[in-house]
Amino acid sequence: MKYAYYPGCSQGSTAEEYDRSLRAVARRLDGLELVEIEDWNCCGATPAGATLSPTLSPTLPDSLAARNLAIANGMGLDEVIAPCAACYKNLRKASHDLNEDPELRQKASAVLEGREMDHVPEVRHPLDVIVNDVGLDKIPVTKPLRGLKIASYYGCLLTRPTPNFDDPEHPRSMDRLMETLGAEAVDWAYKTKCCGGGIYMFREKVTFRMSAAVLVHAKAAGANAVAVGCPFCQLMLDLYQDKLEEVAETTFDLPIFFFTQLMGLAMEIDRAQLGLEKLVVRPFDLLAQTVDAPPGAEEKPRKRKAAKLKAWGEA
Amino acid sequence: MQDYQAIHPHHETSPELAKIVELVSVCYQCGTCTASCPVVPAGGMDYTPRIIMRMLQAGMEDQVLASETIWTCATCYSCAVRCPRDIDITDVMFRLRNLALIRGYPARSGVARRGRIYNTDFMKIVRRLGRMYELELVLRYHLKADLLGLIGMVPAGVKMLLRHKLRFLPESVVDRAQVRGIFDRVEDKSQ
Repeated sequence: MKYAYYPGCSQGSTAEEYDRSLRAVARRLDGLELVEIEDWNCCGATPAGATLSPTLSPTLPDSLAARNLAIANGMGLDEVIAPCAACYKNLRKASHDLNEDPELRQKASAVLEGREMDHVPEVRHPLDVIVNDVGLDKIPVTKPLRGLKIASYYGCLLTRPTPNFDDPEHPRSMDRLMETLGAEAVDWAYKTKCCGGGIYMFREKVTFRMSAAVLVHAKAAGANAVAVGCPFCQLMLDLYQDKLEEVAETTFDLPIFFFTQLMGLAMEIDRAQLGLEKLVVRPFDLLAQTVDAPPGAEEKPRKRKAAKLKAWGEA
Repeated sequence: MQDYQAIHPHHETSPELAKIVELVSVCYQCGTCTASCPVVPAGGMDYTPRIIMRMLQAGMEDQVLASETIWTCATCYSCAVRCPRDIDITDVMFRLRNLALIRGYPARSGVARRGRIYNTDFMKIVRRLGRMYELELVLRYHLKADLLGLIGMVPAGVKMLLRHKLRFLPESVVDRAQVRGIFDRVEDKSQ
């Protein structure tokens, strides 16, 4: 099936490897064709919400999203794929609001200089589409991710607000995908805790404590890597991992993959297309010891200090 | 609403505030929001979400609007999906931010002030370009709100440079007028 692709701003900068690997994976999967929305605009991420007001209809985030949805509709596409969790939430909410309320749809089209929508496209996350539309059994896994113990990290906006494609408390779709890829999906408690990325700029220390808690739990559950489906989660856990180690007084040494990169590895897509070199915490040693190790080789236990769980309030 | 005005006649009411008070009126103070919040244990809130709900019920909106909490809410919806009274607390926080900006309340602290600067500058860039330009946002924010913090950003910046994760030149939509038009229309209506 053809999907309208809404890359979002991060896919062209901080999360370029997410964009690259998603496109590469989509090319190899049956039934997942991505057509980029022409001249798409920013969804406004979290700051757009600061314009919410009952006298404002449609709201600013809904209006910004409506422009993208209207263009997708004009291209004849019924479903939009948004890989960034923040874009996904904003676009999905707008799609829902516009579908529910014909009057709002009319007002939105006035804001968009008369651009009409005969059908409001549905908004989906690529994880949802891959697990539920393409189907796990249709993923051509040729190189199982043997030895990788993956903590699937959904963060906040992949499964919230509800209703959504997976459970907001105990989502399993990414875990099931990891098992399909031949990796071990570790069970852990912090898979839906927020990394704090949205307030990073003006609350750095608080955000570091939030993100550090996530990695402490991933490590404690025995993970040797983390999979994410959001550019902000990836940035917080990867780029700032040295800071998080300072906060938690431990070493994590956890590569933070986009789930599409792991799919690409298992599907033996040319690694240059997966952007692994862009990860700040290098994944190459881990891959050499696990996925790429000759069969039968003993898995070397990696040295690590026990993670210290600290009561942040006392710090 | 009438009850509210009777109890708090000294407060100027507004449709924005009326809506917020209506949303939180059913809160029975169980504290599920505060227990679910990831920002609270990280020390990022001056009032917990439960206390914010109570303050709004008690007509203490001046203090709420000046608070850090309305800006440091990470908008992760943990509280919203768990609230037994079905209050979309995250939505309430967004509405409070809006009200704080409209009313121009003095911020209680540097954190609240910086939260406002970050949020408004972000939208200024989207208004102009139709897309986010991270480098400008970081520079703008730090020059205005946190000059020293810019030095702290250097190591992360260098790492991003080495991994080619920084976009140097802005990207923009082709139809910038249309995006600006969206902002203008929406802002007109808020007056």
